[in-house]
Order: sequence, then C-alpha cells, then structure tokens
Amino acid sequence: MKTLSVLGSEIRKNWRFMLLNGVLFALLFQVAMLIALMVRFQAFPNYTTIYNWAEAVSVIIQSTPSIRDMAPIIWEEWLIEIGRMNYDYGTGISEWSLNVIPSRLLVLFFVGAMLSLCLAMVRRDTCQSGMSNTLRATTGVGTLLIAMTNATMSWVVCCATPTWVVGLAMLGVGVSSSLALEQLGPVLSGAGFVLLTAMIIGLAWRRARNDRDPEGVLAHA
Amino acid sequence: MKHILKSAFLATALVPLASAAMAEKISIAIGHQSMCTDTYTAGIIIKELGLLEKYLPTDGKYADADYDVSWADYSSGGPITNQMMANKLNIGVMGDYPLIVNGAKFQETESLRSIYVAGTGYNLKGSGNAIVVPVDSDIYSIDQLKGKDVSTPVGSAAWGMLLKAMQDNGIPTGEYGLKNQSPAVGAANIAAGKIDAHSDFCPWSEIMEFRGTGRKIYDGSETGVPYLHGVVVREDFAKEYPEVIEAFLKAVIEAGDWIREDPMRAVTEMEGWTGVEKEVLYLYFSEGGHLTLEPTIKQAWVDALKFNHGVLVKEKAIPPLDFDAWITEDYIKAAYADMGLDYEADKAVVVDPAEANMGLPMEIWHARDGVSTYPTMPDFLTAVAAMNGTGAKLNATYVYDIETGLKLFGKTAFWVKAGDEYATFLRKGEAEAYAAANSGAVITFDEAIADFVTEG
Repeated sequence: MKTLSVLGSEIRKNWRFMLLNGVLFALLFQVAMLIALMVRFQAFPNYTTIYNWAEAVSVIIQSTPSIRDMAPIIWEEWLIEIGRMNYDYGTGISEWSLNVIPSRLLVLFFVGAMLSLCLAMVRRDTCQSGMSNTLRATTGVGTLLIAMTNATMSWVVCCATPTWVVGLAMLGVGVSSSLALEQLGPVLSGAGFVLLTAMIIGLAWRRARNDRDPEGVLAHA
Repeated sequence: MKHILKSAFLATALVPLASAAMAEKISIAIGHQSMCTDTYTAGIIIKELGLLEKYLPTDGKYADADYDVSWADYSSGGPITNQMMANKLNIGVMGDYPLIVNGAKFQETESLRSIYVAGTGYNLKGSGNAIVVPVDSDIYSIDQLKGKDVSTPVGSAAWGMLLKAMQDNGIPTGEYGLKNQSPAVGAANIAAGKIDAHSDFCPWSEIMEFRGTGRKIYDGSETGVPYLHGVVVREDFAKEYPEVIEAFLKAVIEAGDWIREDPMRAVTEMEGWTGVEKEVLYLYFSEGGHLTLEPTIKQAWVDALKFNHGVLVKEKAIPPLDFDAWITEDYIKAAYADMGLDYEADKAVVVDPAEANMGLPMEIWHARDGVSTYPTMPDFLTAVAAMNGTGAKLNATYVYDIETGLKLFGKTAFWVKAGDEYATFLRKGEAEAYAAANSGAVITFDEAIADFVTEG
C-alpha cells in the first residue's frame, strides 16, 4: 500500500515531465527511424501521403461486426506515410517508407512517460552507483525491446504484410533470423513493458522501505 | 391562398431531393497492382477501359443506384489485404501467396471473411517467377548459387518459388544467403552487380532481361507448381451486392478478350497505363506468352494454393485456411452464364506451354511496321538480318525455349547451331547438352544472324 502511495506521489510530482517526455519520445523515435532509413538507403524521401485516420477508424467501426476484430484492424491504420518512390520502373514503386501509425505513437508515448518516471526515480534513489547503473541498464533494455517491436519502417516487401521485423531486415538482420523473430514481437514488447513496470514498482518499493527505515538511508550517507 | 402556394412550392422543390435521397450510393473500391502483369485483366484494363461501369446492374434493386467506383494502385498484395480488412477496399487482385494470406487473415477474425471468386490468369508450370543474375555474371545454373547471396521479396510467390527451387536442387537454406529485397531494389542491385542473384515475380525478370541488366538462370516453370493470380472480395459486400461482383467478373472476362483480340494494341496501351515496356508485356500477353488469361477455378489451382499455404505455414506460421469456405465458383459461373459462355468447357482446358507453343512462329517487332511472324528459324534469321541491314529499329524479337516452350527474347536466348538447324534455349546447360548431342555449337544471336547476312 505504501508502495502505491509512493508511486502515486512520484507520478503527481513528475506528470508534466512524463507527459513532455512521452510526446518527445514518440516524435523523436519517428525522426530516428527516418534518419535510419535515409542512412541505410543513402537517399532522401521524395513523397509524403497523409491519411484520414479518423475517417478510416469510423469506417472500421461501422463495418466490423465484432468489437474484438476492430482493435487489431484500427491498430494498423496509418496517419502519415513518408518514403522514397523509385520511378525507374513502371509508374513508380515505393522503395521504402516510414509509416506514422497512431496506435504505435500511443505505445511509444507510454514508453517515454514510463522511461522518464523510471529515470526520475533512479536519480532520487540512494543506492550505490553500481546498482544505479544496473537499474539504468534494465530500464534501457525494457525501452529498447518495446521500441524495437514498434518500429514502423517498411520496405515494400512484396506481397507480404509488413511487420516490425521488416525494419530489422532492412537494417541488415538476415531474413531467416527476422522471420524467426517475427512471432516473438508481442512477447518481446510485453517483456519490455514488464521490465519497465517492475523497475518502477521496485523503485517505489525501495523508497517506501527507506522511508520506513531511515537508517538504511543513513547507511549510505 | 398564400399558404397553399408556399406549401406547393416547397413540395415541388423537395421532390428531386427526396428522389435523390432514395438513390442508394454504392461505393466500389478496388485494389490492384499496375506493376504485376498477371493482375491486369482484373485491374488496370478494367479501370482504363471502363469495363466495370459497362456491366454494373441498373435494374431491379439497382435501378436508383448511384455507383462510386474507385481504384487504388499498390505495389504488392499485402497492403490490399489490410485495406480490405479496414473496409476501404471491397475487391482486391493479387498473386497466389498473398491471396492465401488474405484468406487466412480474414478467417482469423471472428466476424470478417473474404472469398476467392475468380482467377485472372495462370501459367501451368510456374513461369512468371524467375531467378536472375547480373548479365555479366559467371553463374549459369541454380547449382552455382551455393554460398552466394540471393535476394527476393520475402512472402511473395517468387520467394515461395525460390525456396522450392533450392529444395528441389538440394541446396539447404544454410548454404546460401537469403536477402529480403523489394523488386525495385533487387532490380537495381542486379543492374549494379551488387547481389549475386535475385528472385522475382512477373514481369520483373523480363524487365531486367529487356533492359540488358539481368539474365535468367532459372524459370519458375522448373518447379512445376502453377503460378496464378486471382480476385478476392469481402464476403459482406458480395452478399449485399452479388450482381456487382458478377459485373466485375464479366469485366474480367471482357478484359481477357480485349487482349486476345489484338495483343500488340493491348500491350501498347498498357505500356502507357503502367510504364512497363510493351515489349516485356508482349512476352506475357501475346499468343504463346507466359500468361493464359482465363478466370475459371480449376481443382489444380486449389491444389496449388493448398501447397503454397503449406509453405507459408512452415516458413511464416500464417493462420490455417478453410479452402472450402474461402473459394466459391458461384459468381464466376453466374457471370459466364449471363454472357452465354460455357464455364465447364473453359474449366476443362489447361494450357501447357510446352505443348501449346510447339510450332508457334518466331516474331519480330519492327518499330514502325509492328509484329511479323516467321514459321522457320531460317526465315526468321533472314528477316532479322535484312532489317538490321537497312538500319531499321527492332523493338524486340521472340523465340521459344525448346525444353519448356517458354517465350524468350531472341537476344537473351542461348542459340545452338547444329548443321543447318538452329535451336533456342533458356538455359546455357541445356543448350550445351543439345549442342553436344547434335554435333553442334552454342553461338550468340549475332552469330546466328550473321549466317544470313547477304553481301551487297
């Protein structure tokens, strides 16, 4: 109970910081992916398409009888597509693109917010520097897992629906390895969230324990 | 009186509004692929010739229908499936592997289904997919790909063909490097010699051959698995507007007739619509071409799709697919019946290029005079030599592979001269074997032409 109270207090104290970092993380991740694409393909994007996401969601809701089916379809709806069109063949073929997908932005926003909460709590934590580094590394691993599985770079890999591993394949991971990893996407993402959540709760628990046992704090003073 | 007049005026004004409100707006959204030749009869041709509008019903419950037909062009089938699931597309046309993914993804949901209603065309043995190497490469057969890097658009029919071709030739996946590359990237890498080989679907291999950047070392026909494309529809749309689906399939049938009527005109028009070179398209759509345009659903196609599904389950763990629930002949049969055509007769015919193309004449596409045909190799070579002698521009020449009956560009075929006889081959190995067996020699196209150049 004390742990939850500490957690609540930390969130109240840091909510502006979390909000700002959540938005920044989601946006900067898009920029990072775009830069990765440009570096990988040594070319600038030459087309942008903006989709009417709200209308698309409305159509999906109206035409999908099962509520359970709606979520995964809405989950894949795009807002912006920015990429490189190759006009050497036919009327042009999209060689690569970055897809800005609102559902993924939301996930990344939460990651950014959780990350900033984690880091704020680690900063205030009174543990030894070795332990502090471990906490930071664990936070980093959790963030990396979620970010990686929410990458929305796409390479128009013909006839197969692009998935998060297309981004890995494009960046040099072998096809076989990518395909082997594909099914692990939700597990990896879930593991990332579990790590971050565990980290936050763990830090809150330590703070609660230290508040009860001030000698513990003095021991490190 | 003033009140009565006002009411009458209002009533008169509202009549057209009321009738407009009664007219049902039917939105028909179709996803097609202008860079995939085998989809054209259910895509770009219907769009450009307005064939769907020609057949859309206008009587009965459709008497007041207000149709809104829209087309969206995609470079692959995957996004078409996503758009169909989001109900932004009602109809999609794609190749065999993406078709299966489409059916399986819909069946994975609780409330949505797609149905496979017709084919667009096929190649019985699998031509259309091929493995290409850079034109100057010293690789001439699939065996030489051991230890090399091969790229392919993973998940496509060409990817499935590559996996089977490697398995058939005893090359396990660990013995070659598989790279994931889209067609445009693969083609560019072949041109630059940055990849050892690239496996792709129609018409990318032939584009590379025509441009002189790539050379085919393996044709999909060697796998013996039919290569087909087809039409999928959202089931809820088909149930609500079955006559619209029938109209679409009538348009598919007419698109095929339009091509057969005059292939040269058709490919010239299609070049303008798609940007794919007409000479490449001619390889697909002319008599003896890679593609048999026929929309019936044969048992062999269902078997091929089941085989492909097995590959996808193994390699990509896609969901199961109930083929009986997914495939229906009802709509295409109704379209045939309405047009007074015999569905069962068409369904019973299977075109095998190895037999059907035997004895077909060679062709020369003269830039000014169009396509001319030549029944024998000496006639053909004499004509090429004569045209070259006048400095005439030849768009392309076409011959046939003796082994498979596959239509080839004259310039990319391997030529064998044995006595006074000439034969053409897709692969160097077979050309050499034929030459050895017939006391002949493998020669170039230019050397064959030179034999028929007359002095003065």
